[in-house]
Amino acid sequence: MTTLALVGHGSHLNANSSAPVHAHAATLRRRGRFEDVLTGFWKEEPSLSRMLDGCTSADVVVVPVFISNGYFTKTVIPREMRLDGPLTQRDGQRIRYTGPVGADESLAGVIIERALEAGARPEDAIAVLGHGTRRESESEKNVYAMAKRVRASGRFAEAGAVFLDQEPGMLDMLEVFRAGTVVVVPLFVADGWHAGQTIPADLSLEGAETRKGGRIVRYTPAVGTHPSLAAVIERLAGSAAE
Amino acid sequence: MTRTVGQLLIEDETIGVPGAAKRTITGTPEAVFAHVRLGDDGRYRPLSGAATLPTGWSAPLGPAFDADIAIETVYPLALTHQRQFAAGTLRVVPLEDVLARQSGRYESSAVLSEEGRARAAGVVCGACVRHPVWNGAACAPEGIPCPEACSVLVAFCREAASWQASPPPPEPPDPRIAWAAFEEPGNELRERYLQEMAEAHD
Ligand code: SF4
Repeated sequence: MTTLALVGHGSHLNANSSAPVHAHAATLRRRGRFEDVLTGFWKEEPSLSRMLDGCTSADVVVVPVFISNGYFTKTVIPREMRLDGPLTQRDGQRIRYTGPVGADESLAGVIIERALEAGARPEDAIAVLGHGTRRESESEKNVYAMAKRVRASGRFAEAGAVFLDQEPGMLDMLEVFRAGTVVVVPLFVADGWHAGQTIPADLSLEGAETRKGGRIVRYTPAVGTHPSLAAVIERLAGSAAE
Repeated sequence: MTRTVGQLLIEDETIGVPGAAKRTITGTPEAVFAHVRLGDDGRYRPLSGAATLPTGWSAPLGPAFDADIAIETVYPLALTHQRQFAAGTLRVVPLEDVLARQSGRYESSAVLSEEGRARAAGVVCGACVRHPVWNGAACAPEGIPCPEACSVLVAFCREAASWQASPPPPEPPDPRIAWAAFEEPGNELRERYLQEMAEAHD
């Protein structure tokens, strides 16, 4: 059997940041399909560099609970975990390394679930809200790709990407979309500093539903906290094991 | 039999931290983990080994939540590292290697002077129940060996490196400031370090 190693960012300042990783790990432990389910973090414990200490499984699959394939998944995690790439053979152990959950195409289904749970109807617009950064074009591409998949599902009148930190900015979303109701789904792992605090404040949200100039903005919890993310993790781990 | 690991008191049927309050926490990893995330002062504890565990609580032990699971919940990898240290198989990594491999935001931690590194380790590890064997610290069999500088110490080294050229003046410690907000004047560990540095160079 395989040991699943879930890796997350964690935080020195926000206790909620790692909560989704712990919650998905607990779900996957209960399902019992893995020999063991370990967690490791960049900024919490166990650290990425030590999380496999004491792991004796011959087969380990490492799944990053990150939103896009960028600096952390390409540089920090492989360096800290001493991974050689998608496959590392070390001390009789085979360690497979998958892409991040946030870039897996099945995540679009989780975004749609989030939107529907927030009451999204066929005539509404879905705003997939990403962080965006000038440094990481993959992060931007991933948000656009997810928005495109939501649009291709044909379940909503409109779907598009908006960003916290680049154009098109989230503050302009009522100009980006025409629908009377815009459902904002934050493409973040946790309801931490951004998804839980700065975004609702910057958008002047009054809760799950806010009325603005005769239109409605609905705001959902972060995609990464959705229970069905555990299935995305299982799928990724399963595809690595093939 | 009663024993202690870090701040934890382990008795035959319970685990906890003594104190004035007598709170009972559900005996599950999830409940105990959630309880020890915050200290008595309500501040988040990003460092599991920080000597700030909430006091005055206990949790019942049982077959699904035995002492080993409970210890590992509060101090991740403590028993693994104890066993490996005792067997001489613990992989120990020096601070200079940890700082040298940093990139991005933490790359600048590597420019911290020898003296700064030693004082940073003294201040940060001095607030932790793990024993930094990576720094040559002794560790008794019941102690928790620490084989490699943690991310909190690396973050502290980054800040300390930024103070090297012109150290900020020490400020009174302010216990309301987040435990690991080292960039904020008043952070207790920051102020202890700046005070020690100021005294050493007076
Ligand atoms: S490096 Fe120091 S502060 Fe960090 S876990 Fe080890 S002993 Fe504790």
